[in-house]
Amino acid sequence: MQRLCTLNVNGETRTLAIEETDTLVDVLRDRLGLTGTKVGCDEGDCGACTVLIDGRPVLSCLTLALSVEGRAIETIEGVARDGRLHPLQEAFDAHGAAQCGFCTPGMILSAKALLEENQDPTADEIRHALSGNLCRCTGYGRIVEAVQIAAKRPAR
Amino acid sequence: MKIVGTSKPRVDGAAKVTGQARYADDLALPRMLHARILRSPHAHARIVAIDLAPARATPGVLAAIVGEDLPVAYGILPWTEDEYPLAIGRALYVGDGVAAVAAIDERTAIAACAAVRVEWEKLPAVLSPAEALAHPEIKVNEHAKDGNVSKQVDLSFGPVDENLERAAAVIEGEFHFEGTTHAALEPHCAVASWEPRGELTVWSSTQVPHYLHRALAKVLQLPEDRIRVVQPAVGGAFGGKSEPFDLEFCAAKLSMLTGRPVKIRYTREEVFYAHRGRHPMHMRFRTAADAEGKLLAVDSSILIDGGAHSSFGLVTTYYSGQLLGAPYELPAYRFHSTRVFTNKPACGPKRGHGSVQPRFAIECQLDELAERLEIDPIELRRRNAMGSDETTINGQRVGSNGFLQCLDAVERASGWKEKFGKLPRGRGLGVAGSTYISGTAYPIYPNEMPQSGVSVKLDRSGQVLVTSGVSEIGQGVETVLAYIAVEELGCELAAVRVITGDTLLCPVDLGAYSSRVTFMAGTAAIEACRAMRAHLVEAAAKALECDPSEIELAGGRASARGRELSFREVARLAESAKGTLVTAGGYRTRKVGGEYRGGSIGASPAYSFTAHVAEVSVDERSGVVTVENIWVAHDCGRALHPIHVMGQMEGSAYMGFGEALMESHTFHANGLHRGPSLLDYKLPTTLDTPAVHASIVEANEPGGPYGAKEVGEGPLHPSIPAIANAIHDAVGIRLRALPFSPDRVRAALLAKGGG
Amino acid sequence: MLPLPSCAVSFPETIEQALELLSRPGARVVAGGTDLLPNLKRGLGRPSALVSLARLSGLDAVARDEHELRVGARVTLAELARSSLLPASVRYAASLIASPQIRNVATIGGNLLLDTRCVYVNQSPLWREGLGHCLKADGTECHVVPTGKRCVAAASADLPPILVALGASVRVASKDGVRTIPVERLFSNDGAAPIALGPAELLVEVVIPRAPGTSSAYRKLRVRKAIDFPLLGVAVAVDAEGGLVRALRVVASCIGATPRKVSGLDSIAVGKPLDDATIEAVAERCHGALHPQTNIAADVGWRRAMIPLLVTEALHDVRDAVRTRGGDDGTA
Repeated sequence: MQRLCTLNVNGETRTLAIEETDTLVDVLRDRLGLTGTKVGCDEGDCGACTVLIDGRPVLSCLTLALSVEGRAIETIEGVARDGRLHPLQEAFDAHGAAQCGFCTPGMILSAKALLEENQDPTADEIRHALSGNLCRCTGYGRIVEAVQIAAKRPAR
Repeated sequence: MKIVGTSKPRVDGAAKVTGQARYADDLALPRMLHARILRSPHAHARIVAIDLAPARATPGVLAAIVGEDLPVAYGILPWTEDEYPLAIGRALYVGDGVAAVAAIDERTAIAACAAVRVEWEKLPAVLSPAEALAHPEIKVNEHAKDGNVSKQVDLSFGPVDENLERAAAVIEGEFHFEGTTHAALEPHCAVASWEPRGELTVWSSTQVPHYLHRALAKVLQLPEDRIRVVQPAVGGAFGGKSEPFDLEFCAAKLSMLTGRPVKIRYTREEVFYAHRGRHPMHMRFRTAADAEGKLLAVDSSILIDGGAHSSFGLVTTYYSGQLLGAPYELPAYRFHSTRVFTNKPACGPKRGHGSVQPRFAIECQLDELAERLEIDPIELRRRNAMGSDETTINGQRVGSNGFLQCLDAVERASGWKEKFGKLPRGRGLGVAGSTYISGTAYPIYPNEMPQSGVSVKLDRSGQVLVTSGVSEIGQGVETVLAYIAVEELGCELAAVRVITGDTLLCPVDLGAYSSRVTFMAGTAAIEACRAMRAHLVEAAAKALECDPSEIELAGGRASARGRELSFREVARLAESAKGTLVTAGGYRTRKVGGEYRGGSIGASPAYSFTAHVAEVSVDERSGVVTVENIWVAHDCGRALHPIHVMGQMEGSAYMGFGEALMESHTFHANGLHRGPSLLDYKLPTTLDTPAVHASIVEANEPGGPYGAKEVGEGPLHPSIPAIANAIHDAVGIRLRALPFSPDRVRAALLAKGGG
Repeated sequence: MLPLPSCAVSFPETIEQALELLSRPGARVVAGGTDLLPNLKRGLGRPSALVSLARLSGLDAVARDEHELRVGARVTLAELARSSLLPASVRYAASLIASPQIRNVATIGGNLLLDTRCVYVNQSPLWREGLGHCLKADGTECHVVPTGKRCVAAASADLPPILVALGASVRVASKDGVRTIPVERLFSNDGAAPIALGPAELLVEVVIPRAPGTSSAYRKLRVRKAIDFPLLGVAVAVDAEGGLVRALRVVASCIGATPRKVSGLDSIAVGKPLDDATIEAVAERCHGALHPQTNIAADVGWRRAMIPLLVTEALHDVRDAVRTRGGDDGTA
């Protein structure tokens, strides 16, 4: 069964017809062209599909798209504003925290949610906040450091 | 140097941190169909009948194919072409593809696949090498010449038996390496588009676009000049994307049948069935030394579980012995390695192809030797270190060699002298060393053409375009190529664009495997850029009325005698004087390796060196091992981009750590994978992964680009034995089977009577 | 892509609407969805309709009076882990579940009603077809206990052991009204149908008694420090007075289809101080009483050997509280 669904993604309102059981990640990627959200497992184990719902990181592969109507959905495409990178994006780029880049969008969104709650997290707090985001390239050290560097930047 | 040795943001970095980088599954073409592959639920079964009619009758289905529709065998090595895109007659492992269906969307394709009716006749399956050797009548791979033997190598160098005889100490042991897999975060995906002029384009998450190009031509029986392979951004590979896979052939064939683009993306489960990961090996090793700890001989016998296909297995079998000749001076060694076909997904090259497993064995035995002879384990390794510009007993020419500096670096950084053997019970340090190749001397298929080509185009805009068929898989090769352009041409980094991995637009490069990329594509890029530079220097000298030798190209300017021109002006002058500006460079391997059958395998133009010290704590009640720290020092020749070099070292150490403690790619007795998911296959999380402390050692390699050697794979090798040796230092047990899971650790402690 | 099966999804805004929707045959509740949706993606369960609690008003608060704590069924695991009203052991157990992203949406109700797990079940349709379908999903045999007639898929949630140990109960709504049952009665001993609730019932609230003399702790065994389900979960609760044990409960998950409460501990511990001898005797008794199955992917002998270790560690956690204050329910 198809149903009309209105989503607020990165501040834009989009209405489209979807299957009632379509997951958010499939709607974002395949219907809205927001391919920055990645699918690494599609069953909730890897964190590559992490998006923010009302500022909190959730797995878009385990989220029914209909269930987040009316909520603020933020994907990696919404993190840079006015053509300027977010401090996390700058720090990930400058510090070698992205290699293949496939975990990066989810990693940055988990980190962004952390920094909005805690402006000066310890390495341990960062590791806990990112513990649901698997990375296969870096060994995580540079990611943790990049989050710390970004935290020290003055807020834009 | 202008830029080499600095760490600028990677050229593909901004795209990656903003989600704009386009991976294969991010591509969508007009009219595109989705296809799915139906797979065997049985480890070994005859396909008695297969009925596609119900699938074809499903509304929205446009085409369906079976194995017989793609009847040409292929294989990454031309000597062992032993697989088909879809099973013909028999399925050889759980997950073997048997049919593919293309439909208007993926849900429809999945439903149609489920509607295909397959009548199976289950056949006896062999799941272990021992079983496969005992039952040659259960033939797994019809292309095997001798029962289920995939490849056997016997090589002997120096007086092995005599040296074993006269040794002061001989360590004997059996080691078991369970399989592990790459588990790159991006599942494989391919999009194929058959175009009306009779041309095929395939976008694929491959790390070998050139080999894929050749295989597509062969299997689809199309001329190579009608095929274009494009490799978009790749979300990690680690060797797991270094062969053609069923999805590329099936997408292409279905596109040819329907005249529409077709996408196939693997589920995570399918990635585990595609596999090509690290081979399980059962290894018997004897390592002998004299009373001073100088190595006299190594004697090894290795049984290798290959899975159902050859993959790179011929090379794997050689690598299991050929890379033991360094970093230690070894006067005699022999190896007897046998790779066997079994009814499981094929094993292949994973980061540190074929040599991580024997490195585990030998480095553990060196530790035992040190204990037996009462020599510090680092000192024992120092005493045996081979020098630079030497040839190993099996004929491999080692140029630069920073192994001793690596040992020094980890000894110092870890506080080894204060800590080894002196930490409280339950805590310990272990060391291990290794070497690895910087590319293989010979291409996978014999030919006299360059292994790597790079072209440089410059025009009046001042924009530099560098193209190469090489694969960017996250290791940073596009940044390396851009660095070389900046270094040689003096332009700004922002003025350089790099296109890689497109077989139509780019000169051929063989791909991202065997740690060849920086060394070979880098060398080719320097050649191409220097040819371009000559045009610029000549034009600038004429304009600035000086000798070409006086021209300095740097910072987006040409200058001499206090006068300067912008890079763009120089480009315009050069284009005016020389015409259209395109230059090219190539890398050809000089002849290296031993003069015997197999002597070229493991022969490389340059070798990297690594040393690790791991610090662990062991909870003796539970058997849980925690790795607290890993210090890794790696000789990469010159570090072109230090952050990327350290990133490769850290990532390698992490991957080895995961293999040591928790990763296990294993199967139930019926051939079902024990956990084909990222829940059950344990990639370490942020909370599990230890602090990794990387030190770069630079032993300049004259043959490498600005002196560089490899860093992508070498630093993984010592991870496992360093952790094993640290566990011994902590609690006095020798673990010889991977992974070092708490049940095994606890059992070993109980057996020793210490638990 | 692992598509979910097509079915209707509704979003009731009141409990009454939810109960009405649930009264239709085959309807399933989805709260956080982090357990149900992966299972549905793997073809485990074929609901006729999903009733999402995403827009339900209420059931999302933690409240306390002098006798009890009341936790709405929709309170997320992240909120539980943060809530200063709750016993530290419950907060800790919640903080160990899965990953931060999952804890942000998974609920206390969902964790209590988590489906049982088995290495032979939590697999794809292809995989299960290769093995042969089993008691829990579409088949008649058991691959764990080949002669078994009842499914032994393991209770694998982290909260039930601690909530059972604390004597918590749940309030369950249906068209007939609201009933209260102890958490330990929420589970059936059949892994194929592990929740002893009617299809049209809705778990609305968890009630934890406030017991100033009670101290509790939880221990979880797993391979990784995040993401993983427990290989073993052990909760202890000790009621004490004057430094002596009045009652002692140990509840373990990952043993069988229900969380297992170890019997016979009163005779070992009651009236005694929680000293090494008592702890050892309790751990020994638990070791003898709990027999893990082979359907969880870790060596079964090792898991069994870890039982007394986890029990001992958990009892060490509460020992000081028992000795000095007689008890500490961990609430602020």
